[in-house]
Amino acid sequence: MIQIEKRLREEAKRLLETKEAAVVLAFGRGFDEEHPMPLILRKPSDAEKIVFNEYCTFNMARHLTEFPPGTKIAVAVKAADSRAVTVLIQEGKVKREDLIILGIPVAGMKDFRSGTAIDATTTGPAVNPVLYDILLADLLPEPKDVSPYDVLAEIEAMSPDDRWGFWSAEFSRCIRCYACRKACPLCYCETCFVDQAKPRWSEKSPSASSNMMFHLTRFYHLAGRCIDCGSCSRACPMDIPLYLFHKKVSKECEEMFDQAAGMCVDAKPVMVDFKVEDSDDILL
Amino acid sequence: MENPYIPMPVTVDKIFIEVDTKEIKTFRLAFVNKTDEERFNYRPGQFAELSIYGKGESPIGIASSPTDKGYVEFTVQKAGIVTSELHDLEEGAQIGLRGPLGNSWPLEFLEGKNIVIVGGGFAFTTLRSLANFMLNDEQRSRFGKIVMIYGARTPGLLCYKPELKAWEDRSDMETFVTVDKGDNNWKGREGFVPTVCKQVAPSSENAVAVICGPPVMIRFTLPVFFELGFSKENILTSLEMKMKCGFGKCGRCNVGHKYVCKDGPVFSLAELENLSREY
Amino acid sequence: MITKIGREKLQEFVAGLMKSGRLFAPVKEGKGTNFKLITDPQSVTLDFYNTIQSPKAVLFPQSEDLVNYNISHDGIASEPAPIDDGSRIILGVRPCDVQSFEIMDRLFNGSGIVDPYWSARRSNLTIIAYAFDRADPVDFYNAFGITGSDEQGSDILMVRDTNSFLFKAFTDKGTKLLETMPFLEKGTADDEKRMTEIVDKGRDIATRTLDTAEIHKRLAGIFDSPYWEEAAAACLNCGVCTYVCPTCHCFDIQDETLFGEGSRRKIWDSCMFSDFTLHASGHNPRTKKSQRLRQRINHKFSYYVENFGIISCVGCGRCTRSCPVNIDILTVVEEAR
Repeated sequence: MIQIEKRLREEAKRLLETKEAAVVLAFGRGFDEEHPMPLILRKPSDAEKIVFNEYCTFNMARHLTEFPPGTKIAVAVKAADSRAVTVLIQEGKVKREDLIILGIPVAGMKDFRSGTAIDATTTGPAVNPVLYDILLADLLPEPKDVSPYDVLAEIEAMSPDDRWGFWSAEFSRCIRCYACRKACPLCYCETCFVDQAKPRWSEKSPSASSNMMFHLTRFYHLAGRCIDCGSCSRACPMDIPLYLFHKKVSKECEEMFDQAAGMCVDAKPVMVDFKVEDSDDILL
Repeated sequence: MENPYIPMPVTVDKIFIEVDTKEIKTFRLAFVNKTDEERFNYRPGQFAELSIYGKGESPIGIASSPTDKGYVEFTVQKAGIVTSELHDLEEGAQIGLRGPLGNSWPLEFLEGKNIVIVGGGFAFTTLRSLANFMLNDEQRSRFGKIVMIYGARTPGLLCYKPELKAWEDRSDMETFVTVDKGDNNWKGREGFVPTVCKQVAPSSENAVAVICGPPVMIRFTLPVFFELGFSKENILTSLEMKMKCGFGKCGRCNVGHKYVCKDGPVFSLAELENLSREY
Repeated sequence: MITKIGREKLQEFVAGLMKSGRLFAPVKEGKGTNFKLITDPQSVTLDFYNTIQSPKAVLFPQSEDLVNYNISHDGIASEPAPIDDGSRIILGVRPCDVQSFEIMDRLFNGSGIVDPYWSARRSNLTIIAYAFDRADPVDFYNAFGITGSDEQGSDILMVRDTNSFLFKAFTDKGTKLLETMPFLEKGTADDEKRMTEIVDKGRDIATRTLDTAEIHKRLAGIFDSPYWEEAAAACLNCGVCTYVCPTCHCFDIQDETLFGEGSRRKIWDSCMFSDFTLHASGHNPRTKKSQRLRQRINHKFSYYVENFGIISCVGCGRCTRSCPVNIDILTVVEEAR
């Protein structure tokens, strides 16, 4: 990881010096080593502020949509992050030619809040970025025989009533801080439906029903788009396992349309494509 | 202890359509309970929350004068959920009223001084309250000369038309009504408010200017008054902010350490200069 | 006088407290704990560092009915919702959080128009503080003159010994409450000594600290500095920091209606949300996240000082611990120069 940090600093410095990029999205030091922060650099001399360690879990694709169109941005991405960049390109939120993607193949990341390892239960198992211009380390062997959906076995085995009970209990704890939405690289709506006043779709009070309304709508808005980075769940102060729901929806999308989100920049995303032979199951 | 969050019931006694677009209406409200009416002691420049259950509340400046007895008036522009609902009401409807809230035009400070009132468009409501208060028979002698300059974009957008006429006819004040652009029937003055202020050139001697209007009007009017010699302490205005509670608890209308709802909405230019520009 | 109870008898103690009023105490939730209304004595845990959310919701719930109404063809019928002001006991409040009640009092209770909801509950609240026995690296309550075992503001101070909890009452209310717990043992001279030792140890816990002198003036002086852009660059504009904070008190008032039945509610809001200051006209005085972060910091460390003579922060560290991007309020304030 020290090697990645060194390469990241070099590339950031070079890209800013040559003005190939106006902004570099990377990782910097937080209040201590184990708590880094997203770092948004504009000056070559700031490149030395870059850090990279196992706690740099931020999906920097989240910040891509903060800049005016046409800004040349270099963005450091890990495996899932690169899929978010791919979706943003597919959806026209950023242009491929405005991006310099710094790919980071890496395994063994840790959640800075709990200190625990981040594995395929809360994110995708892949360790290599799917889209990059510059690779900051050698590609790693992808883990074999691990599915991002293994973790669903338990919840899929539940009876519908139990499952409803499970989610009702989880959502009842939501405090509507919207950290999940704000940490998500693909929740870029200017005004989220839940904040709309005319008409108001959901109550502001964190009641069981309004929390359910918010989360279910958000899950479905991310159907076929969620790239399983796990940012929402890590951001949640109440430890609600949002990743479980996202994974379930992703799994169904993948089974129905034979495409995982953000894997190929030239693919047509499942929610904007229609084929006569598409599965009808979605209509039931 | 009275609960400051609970509105008092009032009935919509009369609705006046102020402008030709019908987007601005004045609502004359009467208290359902006599005790509420007695308790609702207000001063010009204060505001109140108008409440419609199911829609919410909206803070609106009081347009009537405390010298008008038996009712209280609010001039409302149709904008959000509550104001749109208000515009759909008919006479006789019951709504809620919470207030009076905020400081007010500083009557004691204005006493004995010449008063220049400058208003633009819809932002004239609490100035109308102030004018009618000062012009009241029992109050008139407390104040010096009164000059009023009021403008709107078109003749149809002028509020309080019958009163404007009456003020123009009064001998104890000077009234200048102007429109940005007249129509075939308009026989009055044409020109932007700042230009008219320049032409009228009210003296700054022992005078206070009270100015409310759209930001662009204020921006061009202020230099005129500086040139006429008005100090920042002697130019007053009223701020508009998003508000909820109306008495300094909910933290929404913070401008610097001031709460617009409680410490305002009336501020002098000198006070505003010490505040962060977040309004 | 010191009283004590064996750790194994905690449930009995909790059950006793439940008889004296509604009890709020830490309960496991997710990977942490939170204050909850206790219905089952077994759910209470005192094995925690500090709760995820502050105890403010005990007095100031996230959502609270002001008026209940019914809208029908015949018109609108409405009735003020009764203020739920029955006696409350809160067990296990850390000393820094106890101070947050006093800070909030100045706004809700001690100035201008009194907030009847806060006020009614506050006067009916019994606080059992719980001394810290260690410091989390992000805490900085020492900066405000608060130590890990202060009794100020609480009715009873509780400390944890190896096999027991020791209690000392500091108010009549506290003394009376402890008297109603017949199973509490009277402390021995040894227990007195232990309590003093533990309290002294608590006072010596060193947290991070901050030079608070003239802080409000310093912040006022850099209002227009580009510093805020830098400080807020990583911010996601979620509301976690404000919702876990013991002194953040901004709220919204909303009418929430379902099929004609509804309530006007006072609901927590956050200055970190972009629609917080959005006018009905579409105008928004704070469109940038840097302005919103600046507002949060200034409200606590500058405006509150101007208005109420106290910094509206107790250094509990919650906002830093819960921030998805590790923005640390102490660092932000320290570097604001």
